[in-house]
Amino acid sequence: MRCSGAGRIAASIAMSFVASWPTAALAEGDRALGEYLSSECVTCHQLSGKYQGIPPIVGWPEQSFVEIMDEYRQKKRDNPVMQTIAGKFSRDEIAALAAYFGSVKSKN
Amino acid sequence: MNSNRRQFIGGLGALAAASFPMPAIAQAKPKLVVVGGGPGGATVAKYVAKDGGVDVTLVEPARRFTTCFHSNLYLGGFKSWEEITHSYDKIAKAYGIKHVRQRASAIDRDKKVVKFASGRTLSYDRLVLAPGIDLKYDSVPGYSEEVSKRLPHAWQAGPQTQLLRRQLNALSDGATIVMIAPPNPYRCPPGPYERVSMMAHVLKAKGHKKSRIVIIDPKENFSKQGLFMEGWQKHYPGMIEWQDPKMHGGVKGVDARSMTVKTDLGDYKAQLINVIPAQMAGKIARDAGLANQSGFCPINPENMRSASDANITIVGDACIAGDMPKSGFSANSQAKVAAMMIRGELANGRTFPARYTNTCWSLIETDDTVKVGGSYTAKDGKIAATETFISKTGENADLRKQTQQENMGWYAGIVADIWS
Repeated sequence: MRCSGAGRIAASIAMSFVASWPTAALAEGDRALGEYLSSECVTCHQLSGKYQGIPPIVGWPEQSFVEIMDEYRQKKRDNPVMQTIAGKFSRDEIAALAAYFGSVKSKN
Repeated sequence: MNSNRRQFIGGLGALAAASFPMPAIAQAKPKLVVVGGGPGGATVAKYVAKDGGVDVTLVEPARRFTTCFHSNLYLGGFKSWEEITHSYDKIAKAYGIKHVRQRASAIDRDKKVVKFASGRTLSYDRLVLAPGIDLKYDSVPGYSEEVSKRLPHAWQAGPQTQLLRRQLNALSDGATIVMIAPPNPYRCPPGPYERVSMMAHVLKAKGHKKSRIVIIDPKENFSKQGLFMEGWQKHYPGMIEWQDPKMHGGVKGVDARSMTVKTDLGDYKAQLINVIPAQMAGKIARDAGLANQSGFCPINPENMRSASDANITIVGDACIAGDMPKSGFSANSQAKVAAMMIRGELANGRTFPARYTNTCWSLIETDDTVKVGGSYTAKDGKIAATETFISKTGENADLRKQTQQENMGWYAGIVADIWS
């Protein structure tokens, strides 16, 4: 947040993503933080787990969630909306999101 | 004000006891009143109410809300009216939100009450204003609210949108449509150009060969311009003509009787005239002294509070949100920051640094959709973009189709997020 988006991401990639994040270290995400941050995700990804054009993200194993977000951060996955969203989260924030969404059960 | 709040939250000041002669005063919850039930206001109401501990009242005269976003898809025949209209019943019931179906007429900031024409008042500890936009009818000479019944603006979803669709569907081949586009800042920057695309889609689908659409624009450029121009050339060759101020010389006015749009460099006779005037914050916010000379309301980008009243939060199109465009997505995003900060104050909720997001999808023709968006944060006293993206010209058909699926998915997601 203190430097420009592109610069921040470049810096993050240099520092954090020489390899993918060691996901084992991310098991203990801050669920309350995740719940707040999730409000940004549920504008498109329905909390009920319903699929109407945008994939559901509730109830995923935390490790898969972290890996996929990591791939968006590294722009290995294409969607620019997700690249922009994933790019601004720190590793703790992604862990928090993984913990929160992992704890939500799909109603579908 | 702070000490009052603490007294109240702490349970119990003589002042509160005097104002609210209820036996169970010790259990009185802090009160949030939200004025305006669009994507900004309804989202704040839901997000503050869902975790309990705050008494939330939503002041909104309508029983059901029709979204401005995707109203162009209604115009183009891609969505029904029912699909873009949503009831407040679910959130009122599920989260205990009181829905007051009246129009708030004024705010008394000193007494912290919302007033109604009936004489009724509603007191608040915190107030959220989400009144959306009002139209500056007189920004186009000859235009007025009365004239809009014949020359629709359709920039506030409702009967105006239905009128525009009826007029569009009634046109015969050889018709001229003139749109007067709005000056900045206005609700939904790509909206006028998506609307023109939907008008062209309808005319093309009906087999029109000679009809045309002229956009008289007070701006020298517009949102997603390259993408729209490319799409119009591809799907509707020769049908759409966009004129910037160099080409028309300035809008001189409209004459509803002769169905003419007058510009400095010529007059256009039309069978359908869509006037989208200049805009400003909803009256209630301006009357409360919360807007500046721009007509919109300055806010603190850290928490969406009014720059001139710490008890009032302003979200959505009425506020000055820096780099964020005025959109339903933006209003929903701002509302979540606002709700978190309000819960922090009224219910000891955890607070985190504000962060905002927006994406705007625009449908150009069936399965050809483009998008623009970004992430934002509070920086240097405003909401500033940290990263932005936009679709590229020349993208393949599969990607554009996928973007349209995303557009439909987003709509289903955001309305579930707001109204259920």
